[in-house]
Amino acid sequence: MGRRRRRRVDPADAARALPEAIAVLTRTLPTGPSPETFRRAKFDRPEAAPALWRLLFCVLSPMPADGASPSLALEAQARSVKAALRFQGYPRRALAQLPDDGSQGGRELLLALAWLLARGPTLEQLLAQSRVRLGDEMPVCECESLASPGPAVPSVEADGCVDIRHLQWLMGKLRFRWRKLMASQQEQCALLGKIHSYTRGCHSDRSLGHLSVTETELLRDPEGGQQLLQRLERENVRLEAALEWRRRELVFWQWMDTVLGACPPEASQPTFLPKIPAQGAAELELVVRELQALQEELQGVAETRPYDPFDLLVDTWAPPASLHEQDWVGGHGPEWSASRRALQEAVRQDLVALQWAWERGGGLAQPHGPHRLVRTEAGAPEGRGLQATEVIEVLRSREACLEVVLGQLQGQCRQELARLVGTLPGLIWIPPPGR
Amino acid sequence: MSIVTVQLGQCGNQIGFEVFDALFSDSHCPQKFCSKRENEAYQASCKERFFSEEENGVPVARAVLVDMEPKVINQTLSKAAHSGRWKYGQHSHFCQKQGSGNNWAYGYSVHGPRHEESIMNLIQKEVEKCDSLSGFFIVMSMAGGTGSGLGAFLTQNLQDQYSNSLKMNQIIWPYGTGEVIVQNYNSILTLSHLYRSSDALLVHENDAVHKICAKLMNIKQISFRDINQVLAHQLGSVFQPTYSGEGSFHYRRNPLGDLMEDLVPHPEFKMLGVRNIPQMSENSLAYSTFTWAGLLKHLRQMLISDAKMEEGIDWQVRPPLSGLPTLGKMPLTKEFHFNTSIANLVILRGKDVHSADLGAFKDPALYTSWLEPVTAFNVWKTQRAFSKYEKSAALVSNSQSLVKPLDMIVGKAWNMFASKAYLHQYTKFGIEEEDFLDGFALLEQVIASYRNL
Repeated sequence: MGRRRRRRVDPADAARALPEAIAVLTRTLPTGPSPETFRRAKFDRPEAAPALWRLLFCVLSPMPADGASPSLALEAQARSVKAALRFQGYPRRALAQLPDDGSQGGRELLLALAWLLARGPTLEQLLAQSRVRLGDEMPVCECESLASPGPAVPSVEADGCVDIRHLQWLMGKLRFRWRKLMASQQEQCALLGKIHSYTRGCHSDRSLGHLSVTETELLRDPEGGQQLLQRLERENVRLEAALEWRRRELVFWQWMDTVLGACPPEASQPTFLPKIPAQGAAELELVVRELQALQEELQGVAETRPYDPFDLLVDTWAPPASLHEQDWVGGHGPEWSASRRALQEAVRQDLVALQWAWERGGGLAQPHGPHRLVRTEAGAPEGRGLQATEVIEVLRSREACLEVVLGQLQGQCRQELARLVGTLPGLIWIPPPGR
Repeated sequence: MSIVTVQLGQCGNQIGFEVFDALFSDSHCPQKFCSKRENEAYQASCKERFFSEEENGVPVARAVLVDMEPKVINQTLSKAAHSGRWKYGQHSHFCQKQGSGNNWAYGYSVHGPRHEESIMNLIQKEVEKCDSLSGFFIVMSMAGGTGSGLGAFLTQNLQDQYSNSLKMNQIIWPYGTGEVIVQNYNSILTLSHLYRSSDALLVHENDAVHKICAKLMNIKQISFRDINQVLAHQLGSVFQPTYSGEGSFHYRRNPLGDLMEDLVPHPEFKMLGVRNIPQMSENSLAYSTFTWAGLLKHLRQMLISDAKMEEGIDWQVRPPLSGLPTLGKMPLTKEFHFNTSIANLVILRGKDVHSADLGAFKDPALYTSWLEPVTAFNVWKTQRAFSKYEKSAALVSNSQSLVKPLDMIVGKAWNMFASKAYLHQYTKFGIEEEDFLDGFALLEQVIASYRNL
């Protein structure tokens, strides 16, 4: 630091630099705790923990800033944070071992926050998620929804037997909600189309031509316009804070080094197996055994043969059914090499299919993320941006691929069920009639 | 969101007319207890769902009329047009010159495929007029000829062509002492086919409605028109607009979808019945006042004693005291004629609706063991009164109440089938004995599932 700076830093400035940097950071984040909370967290004071749990929850869960999201209890937020961090691959186990009630762990949470900020464009993503949208937008890819797992749903422990009729009831409810959702989406599209065609010629930006719903509401309801203005102003504050953060963050990272230094050293463990609950222990034991066997097999294979990445791919990629065939795992002989060849062929075919689908789909020229809907007259000159027909074609080819995969998975499921049924004597399997 | 109604046969068309008329009358009924703005929202919601707009302003019912002979359709069309308040679309009907002689197999195997394209085109035109389609009502009789056979065929077609849209069949359950000899055969075939292709079967029993007319409405000479009007009143009180949630003042967008999600998600349990209270002649209405507590108490007892109206209720029937029976054991303490419900939906309309106390409906003893009342019981409310009733309550339930009638029909049909009586009428047009056996098997399964609650 001394080498880069030309002038000497005033000690009073240096003392202020850290809290100011943290203050700027909290202005950028959705619910920023005070710099004092950060300081307390470094020394692992319990009063700092709840605020940091809440902050991490807001950062990790993809909820809109202005939406009225139901506030979860601290415990539920803590569990959700842990699950989300594990999903993202957070390495420190000390955080996973913190109690769920959210009473402890300020320092570990600070480290987690720093890890999130350091590894990816977290701030930019947060700002993008909660930005004010003036147009009617539609996503053209699923990247955003696939990247974040969503809030963790509390799992319901089933004590004793579950009546299968209840499960069928729940499945049916899901199906009806799906159909209602489809109908709602069609309604939304029809109404958007109406608004766009009625407001043709009203927009000052000629390339857009018509108003969006938000813009129409702006004209109809001045009170709402005031609120929109306030939201834009708030967003401005956050954006400016984000820019300033980029200038000041160095002092924060230096401080985080000291936080890391204040932690006790972590003992390392070889494998991290999930905790097995009391019920269902038999099935989970089976899975655990199979995973351990697979791991040993992989280690054995890696040690005995020269490293060929494709071989490893073939050996590790296996359909579930083959795990039960004793000859396959670590076996030799013509049977084994024949099934291995079949597997290689299957993988090659999959790769070829993927490549073909990608090339056919074209790989959209425009970047991912939501796009503003603009309706133009037939025959009008093409504007900038994606054409709906292109997007539809890409989506259709992707749908076709997914249907193929679905068919394969269903076939595998049926095979697996048939195999399971075969192991139970006296059980007759009557498959349901086709829909 | 809009609902398209398909009116089939004499039964379907006459009832369909009364339903649209009841909906229209209610939405234009002068209101004393709700604000002008709210009333306008109610009217707009009802209109969007059941009527479409035409240039000269007279609302057009979202309906397709189908019959194999022209007489009833012409009567229906002219009745609507003459009222001047609403009408049917000019080209929304399909009829032939000849009848079908009450032959289910002819309706299913001949009329159906022959006229499939024309009828589906009409339906498509109606669907295109909607901004958004919630689903279909199919109004038909269960035991007649055209209505039932053709209705079964068309429902299957709708399932294929509009698989994402919801379908509710309004089924008219025939009188026990009906006139058509083969009505039980027709009923078996209709029900078994509909069970496979429809989402919900809302059953209206002629016997029950007839009693309502006689005892409650004090009608001396009961005509089909009276019966249909009572039926239409029941349907209207279910499907007119209600608030979308507790504390909300927006009307729900998709009542058909919400109802189905609440009542019929399980594929084996699709049979629904509707009861409502109070039901009386307009003259008596002026002299009566009601409390929510009284109405709901009667309604609950109607449910558990399987009564269809508020007179002559058996107050001795009580829910079982032991609470939830344990899984797997037959509930021995249940009364023999206690009507167990799978799920219930109560719809309240009128003054002070928010003060109504529904705790008694949330008693777990009313429901089967595998559903909690919080899931099994739902309420819809609106302050806006229905028709001329200051307070009214409707109950749509998925319960055991149709087991006995269904069992009776299956029994009678089986007896006929065992002696092969009248089968040639069906085999002549492609309905084989196997189809009958499939139908019996399916319905026996349904009866067993309902009995085993």
